[in-house]
Amino acid sequence: MAALAQTQTIEPSAGPARDLIRIRNLEKTYSDGSVHALANINLDIKEGEFVCVVGPSGCGKSTLLRILAGLDDYDSGTVTLDGTPITGPSRDVGVVFQAANLLPWLTVRENVALPLRVGGKQKGQAEDIDRLLDVAGLKDFGHRYPYELSGGMQQRAGICRALVRSPRVLLMDEPFGALDALTRERMNLELQRIWQASRKTVMLITHSISEAIFLADRVVVMSARPGRVIRELEVPIPRPRSNDSIISHPSYPALAKEIRGLLNAQGDE
Amino acid sequence: MSEAKTTIAADAVAIETAPSKPRAKAGKKKAGSGASGTAIMLVGLVLLFLGWALAVKYLDVPSYILPSPVAVWHALWSGLAVSPTSPLGYYLPLWGTLKNAFIGLAIGSGLGLTLGSLMAESRVIEKLLMPYAFALQSLPKVAIAPLVVIWFGFGDGSKIAIAALLAFFPMLINSFTGLRSVEPERIDLMRSLSASRFETYRIVKLPNAAPYIFAGLDMAVVYALLGTIVAEFLGAQQGMGVVITQAQAVTDVAGVFAALVILGAMGILLHGIVRGMEARIVHWGDRGRK
Repeated sequence: MAALAQTQTIEPSAGPARDLIRIRNLEKTYSDGSVHALANINLDIKEGEFVCVVGPSGCGKSTLLRILAGLDDYDSGTVTLDGTPITGPSRDVGVVFQAANLLPWLTVRENVALPLRVGGKQKGQAEDIDRLLDVAGLKDFGHRYPYELSGGMQQRAGICRALVRSPRVLLMDEPFGALDALTRERMNLELQRIWQASRKTVMLITHSISEAIFLADRVVVMSARPGRVIRELEVPIPRPRSNDSIISHPSYPALAKEIRGLLNAQGDE
Repeated sequence: MSEAKTTIAADAVAIETAPSKPRAKAGKKKAGSGASGTAIMLVGLVLLFLGWALAVKYLDVPSYILPSPVAVWHALWSGLAVSPTSPLGYYLPLWGTLKNAFIGLAIGSGLGLTLGSLMAESRVIEKLLMPYAFALQSLPKVAIAPLVVIWFGFGDGSKIAIAALLAFFPMLINSFTGLRSVEPERIDLMRSLSASRFETYRIVKLPNAAPYIFAGLDMAVVYALLGTIVAEFLGAQQGMGVVITQAQAVTDVAGVFAALVILGAMGILLHGIVRGMEARIVHWGDRGRK
């Protein structure tokens, strides 16, 4: 953990962190013109901040993440990472997919090391794979194949893979959606621990209100399609958070109620 | 002579256009597994031979129509219990047939995999080649055999060419289908890592297609053997096809049966080798699919 913290890209300076990601007037309609996915999105994410995005199904939150990852294009507006427009996949961005998305023919270690093998000889920092596996509790599973691991362990390997190029931003698309509730709570604790050690900038998409409040510095609520940002809520609960401390915190019920109210007004969830 | 030719040709016509699906491994061990399965198989085999022997004996079937199992066994034994270099044994012709079938398989499946990959990667190449692939595929390829003999002569060349031609299509169709069936999330992963096209092919698409490719290879092995035998029927110095036509020429039907038994055993053996290779290489099996 402490070792991971050394590789952070920002100095732990005092004062307000600057915006790492800036989204201005972002519009996206799918190419056949039938689906207006995103409408006038404006969102800033500060360096080192953990942002959770919640919204009804099909509200375009995955599209937003894919645009930030450089996997989808957009129609108009600006999207910048540290001042540079995002035009395609970047080394500075690590993506954690739904359901781990490990390659079954590679061992866990080979899966985690995959980003270092491909994409040309771009210069950049590389994490120590053994240290990453150790942090994720996978030290003894490096030589195993993904199908020998539980769903939670697979997704931890998926997070290691996203971190191995030492990106500045981690994008996570419902990473724990396929896991059972108990495993999910444990994974949230683990993710908080990994994030506190590495202090990456994180945007995580989720369906779960409690997960969003547990993990986020700020919860972004999106509307039904076409997706707009309808509310941003700071989560004032101190870290490290635990599953108990979170629900007993005085601000939790009001936060959860407000988010649920906003989502219910969208006629979903 | 013509009778044997028609049978084989009819088999070859039945070669399917559709890609064969990778075998589902789930539930493989449910029925007929282990000792009891083997016992059932053996009982069936004994009943078959018993029925065959009794039918030949009591229904007065002439031996030039259906020889008794004992006669077939004698013919088989006389071909096996000789020195490997004897011109009377099965070893030299079998070696000749297998060698040509194997070279044809290597060429045909190599070309099939290469062209299948190019078609899967490029829409232009797909549009360009697919109509011809389907046209050729619908053609009973064994019917081209006489033409191939004119081009390549009566030597090994024509055997290898026909074996390659027959092995080519299952590999082409199956590798194309397998390479196109990759999960989009896996492509997204490689895109998010700025992987090159070749890296995506080698690390994701090719292993992903491996079960399809092995299913294709499984068919290609049998077809290569079939193609070689058909070519040998049309004229050859040696090979199992020659053993069959020579036995047929003297109405040694037991000898024909014995040669078919050898070829059947070869088919089972080659099938087993491909399955064994697949189990080793595609060790993740169906567990990689959602």
